[in-house]
Amino acid sequence: MLKITDLSARVAGKDILKGVNLEVRAGEVHAIMGPNGSGKSTLAQVLAGREDYEVTGGSVTFEGRDLLALPPEDRARAGLFLGFQYPVEIPGVNNVYLLKAALNAKRKAAGEPEVDAFEFLTLIRQKMKVMQMNESFLTRGVNEGFSGGEKKRNEVLQMLVLEPKLAILDETDSGLDIDALKVVSAGVNTLRDPKRAVVLVTHYQRLLDYIVPDQVHVLSGGRILKSGDSSLAQELEHRGYDWVQETQVA
Amino acid sequence: MSPSQSSVVPQSAALRSFAAQWQSRPADSLSPLREQAMQRFLTLGLPTLHDETWRYTNLRSLAAQSFVDAPRKTRGEIEPHASLSLLGKADRAASLVMVNGHPVEPLVDGSINGIEINTIRGLSELHPNLLRRFLEPLSDAEQRRWSLLNTALFVDGLYIKINAVVPLPLVILHVATGEGTDDIAYPRVIIDAAPGSSATIIEHHVTQGEHTPLTNSDTHMVLGHDAQLEHYRVYATDAGATHFDSLDIRQDRGSRCKQFTVALGGGLVRTALEARLDEPGASLDSYSLLVGHADRHVDCVNIVTHGAPDTRSSQTARAIAGDESRVIFNSKVIVNAGAVRAQSQQSCRGLLLSPAAEIDSRPQLEIHADEVKCAHGATTGRLDPDMLFYMLSRGLDRDTAQSLLVYAFLADVLTGMSVASARTAIENALIAQLPDSQTLRKFR
Repeated sequence: MLKITDLSARVAGKDILKGVNLEVRAGEVHAIMGPNGSGKSTLAQVLAGREDYEVTGGSVTFEGRDLLALPPEDRARAGLFLGFQYPVEIPGVNNVYLLKAALNAKRKAAGEPEVDAFEFLTLIRQKMKVMQMNESFLTRGVNEGFSGGEKKRNEVLQMLVLEPKLAILDETDSGLDIDALKVVSAGVNTLRDPKRAVVLVTHYQRLLDYIVPDQVHVLSGGRILKSGDSSLAQELEHRGYDWVQETQVA
Repeated sequence: MSPSQSSVVPQSAALRSFAAQWQSRPADSLSPLREQAMQRFLTLGLPTLHDETWRYTNLRSLAAQSFVDAPRKTRGEIEPHASLSLLGKADRAASLVMVNGHPVEPLVDGSINGIEINTIRGLSELHPNLLRRFLEPLSDAEQRRWSLLNTALFVDGLYIKINAVVPLPLVILHVATGEGTDDIAYPRVIIDAAPGSSATIIEHHVTQGEHTPLTNSDTHMVLGHDAQLEHYRVYATDAGATHFDSLDIRQDRGSRCKQFTVALGGGLVRTALEARLDEPGASLDSYSLLVGHADRHVDCVNIVTHGAPDTRSSQTARAIAGDESRVIFNSKVIVNAGAVRAQSQQSCRGLLLSPAAEIDSRPQLEIHADEVKCAHGATTGRLDPDMLFYMLSRGLDRDTAQSLLVYAFLADVLTGMSVASARTAIENALIAQLPDSQTLRKFR
């Protein structure tokens, strides 16, 4: 589904990604772990199409298409979703407006008619229940005045409504208490299915207790240094990231 | 009897033509007042870039023109066009029409409880002294020049007396339509809100036909003790229109005024607001929504004077400039000595949509009293790239995302409008000017 080959990228004149290789197949859940500043978020933003992040080498295909050639809106319509680490607040733009516009953009790209207003509200209410979100969400501006936890729930809610083929969740677990973490994980797990894939970008192992990945990768210094199954996450928790970096040097 | 010869020799073609108009006006009961205004105007001359509140608006090409009175029209001569009606019949108390400053008879398209409407000309013959207080200038500020010229040269206008609580808005449609390129019109409106009365008045400026006259309009509002008035002036004129509009507001004890200035059209729009809160408890909320695109020039000047204790004012301005347009917002709050516990707030925000556009915003404060609470802030920037990317990453079209962000930027002004039908109408007119208005409409 997603194939990243030797990807390099630069942000504000600084090389951050220095040759990333990764392949994600349908039905799989991958976790990308690594210390702060290793390039995890940059990778997520580059995949979503952030324009001020400059790709300096390599290639990315998504279902066989050249992902890097597409503008961000087309990537989203093709079925890629980025759950932001720091979702932006957009006062004055209603949560529901945004979601409806997003869903209709996707449907339009797929040649489907616009969603019926009643059907849409029913869908949102159902997903809000999964995410245990308050009714007041419907009338508020996008992420406006949301707590950190509410913002992350909103990211997952959007994902559930849009049903992407590939979801990249950038530190969706950070800043969540244990109850919120369970809700968010349960939300993500409802999307697990043989036709979809999820990439979890995370700093901590604890998310992976709830969403068990098929593969774990350690990103450090702009490269994937080590890959393994879910036991790698346990080992990292135990021995720290220094262990991987040292093993690499040795 | 014709008015006395001007003692000042006019310097430009425009001034000479104004002086000629003055010479040709027959004397009326307001002549002494008009004479004063004309002399003062000719002494001041046309504003130049050296004048403090005119430093961004160049009138040099206008000064070289010679102006003549725009024609008078009857109701039947105005094209019936849907865009001319800001509010539907069910949503308004009544609709009045002025063409090139002349009230069109019959004045009212329906009966109105609690509002008395007269032409200024008719009333000035019967009660010249009644009108005097509405025609005297609020101050001698240099920005008042166009108002002085209007006082000297307006032929007729509307006097609206609000006597009670009027639930539905009264609409005044100002149509500007010329026959040549040198026409000028002087619309004049007086709004007199009796103590304890309450009303909403919408002045809607539109243009019609190939030639658009220069419009120099003036509205004077007086709010009696505890009166409440919500006033809108909406400029939806065409791209060739030049419009100078002056608004004076005088507020008595405990009165509350909400004022909306909405600039959606026109080539050159200069709007002035001067308010005096000279009695305790008077309160004014002014909102400006200034939209520039193509090569439009929108210049908005507000001066609010707190002349009594416990008065409050707020000014909320949102300016958008795209293409090669320029939008200027100057606001000044003056707190006179003795106006203790006055409160004022000024918030100006600008949004630049193109690298060639320009926004100049200058909030100013002049405080001569103690114990006052005055705040002001001004920011101008571009669309937030993080917000834009967030929306694109959800699959929204770039145009849709931008329009939504622009719309959200204006929300602070739109949500202040208490008349739902007026707000909807203004939103519709606004949305029509944004990219991807089609999608945007569905959100509402």
